[in-house]
Amino acid sequence: MNAPRHILGTFDEALSSLRNNVLMMSSLTERSLDRAINGLMQRDDEMCAIAIADDEEIDQLEKQMDKDGIDLLLRFQPVASDLRRVVSAMKLSSNLERMADQGTNIARRARKLNQHPALPEVELITPMYKHAMAMFKDAVDAYVREDVQLARAVVPRDQALDDMNSAAGRRLIERMAEDPAQLRGYLNLIFISRCLERVGDHATNMAEDAVYAAAAEDIRHQH
Amino acid sequence: MVSVAEMPESTSQTLVNQPAPRPEPQTERGMIEIEHLNFKYGAHQVLHDVSLSIPARAVTAFIGPSGCGKTTLLRCLNRMNDLIDAAQISGGSIRIEGLDINAPGVDVVDLRRRVGMVFQKSNPFPKSIYDNVAYGLRIAGVTRRSLIDEAVEKSLRSAALWEEVRDRLHVSGYGLSGGQQQRLCIARALAVEPEIILMDEPCSALDPIATAKVEELIRQLKQNYTIVIVTHNMQQAGRCSDYTGFFYLGRLIEFDATAKIFSNPGQRQTEEYITGRFG
Repeated sequence: MNAPRHILGTFDEALSSLRNNVLMMSSLTERSLDRAINGLMQRDDEMCAIAIADDEEIDQLEKQMDKDGIDLLLRFQPVASDLRRVVSAMKLSSNLERMADQGTNIARRARKLNQHPALPEVELITPMYKHAMAMFKDAVDAYVREDVQLARAVVPRDQALDDMNSAAGRRLIERMAEDPAQLRGYLNLIFISRCLERVGDHATNMAEDAVYAAAAEDIRHQH
Repeated sequence: MVSVAEMPESTSQTLVNQPAPRPEPQTERGMIEIEHLNFKYGAHQVLHDVSLSIPARAVTAFIGPSGCGKTTLLRCLNRMNDLIDAAQISGGSIRIEGLDINAPGVDVVDLRRRVGMVFQKSNPFPKSIYDNVAYGLRIAGVTRRSLIDEAVEKSLRSAALWEEVRDRLHVSGYGLSGGQQQRLCIARALAVEPEIILMDEPCSALDPIATAKVEELIRQLKQNYTIVIVTHNMQQAGRCSDYTGFFYLGRLIEFDATAKIFSNPGQRQTEEYITGRFG
């Protein structure tokens, strides 16, 4: 945050706490997604269970951030950049919570996949995961550093993820026809691919919120 | 010259510009045109080269820290500063609908009828509610009782006070609550049918309910009057006004639609002031 100190120290403290909770939620969400994907790739049910359990803490943080954000709005009635920072933090928290839900979904699908022989097509997931997480990390970085250029650059990267999801879907449907015995497995991979596509959508939303927070510009729905 | 009428529409796609359509001024030029105004108290210059176009039938708020010159500027608009020794306009002009209000020969009494004023502290006369409102009319030479009755009722209704006082018009204005007294002063200003109403922190001594009533009144009055309000309450400026000017050290730093000023001001000083990061 580049703004000079507020006359009310309590306002700066409250805003700082809100932003720290965004960072905390980001870290937990990243860890949860990592664990879910590791559970999938390493066929580790224990890891999947931990990823699923992670969600509770993230849900609680989202509720805490809503409460803190509303409290801050009530007590200080912020305007201009302060208002944008508060509103954006609350919107980021909502996106992070949904992103973490995707981690839980991936972990659940992975546990089902782990009950059957490994499918080589799981490798379709790796590049999607790397791409989605890179978008996610850049969106959070852009928000924290109020880096409008970085945030803007995140948005068009979602298309590549959408394309990867479509390609993976086509490939997996082909495999279903070729190998109907593993139909459920391929279907679970399609759902995991869809989850990562959603992670990219949430990262895009966060990048758009980062632009709004830093530059008061609404770049949503322009692509 | 900062003119609302001439202000270019922002091309950036900001949230602030999208939700609240900017009210259109009634005329191409503002109702009040202030050009390169300089003002001094003795040797101390308190307004520096202020240029501003105030649109008709809208609420314009002046905000800024104490001593920034906003009240001085407000008082220039109906020459209230004439009453202060050594206070003088040292350059520039103020035109109301084209009339240079400081030109020789301008009838100051008539100017103050056209440009009414409501002060920080309600100041009813030690008279009945009726006589308070009728005062300006009588000064102007109106003697017909029916005309005065009609004007008193109309003014009290316009000031949203009629229903509360209709049964006690002849009791002292001092018997009203603070908020009612302030609305009585607004009714008194309206009775002489001004075109512009100046308000100098009109709610600073009122409780939140009385403040809300005055703010609602301001919203209704702008249908028929041009209103300029000085306020230290930025939430009030945000709620009540269509346009806001931010002043600092006697200079107009920024003037724009209120929605723009309070969501994405163009000047760093404005941003720091409205977000509480000033000084």
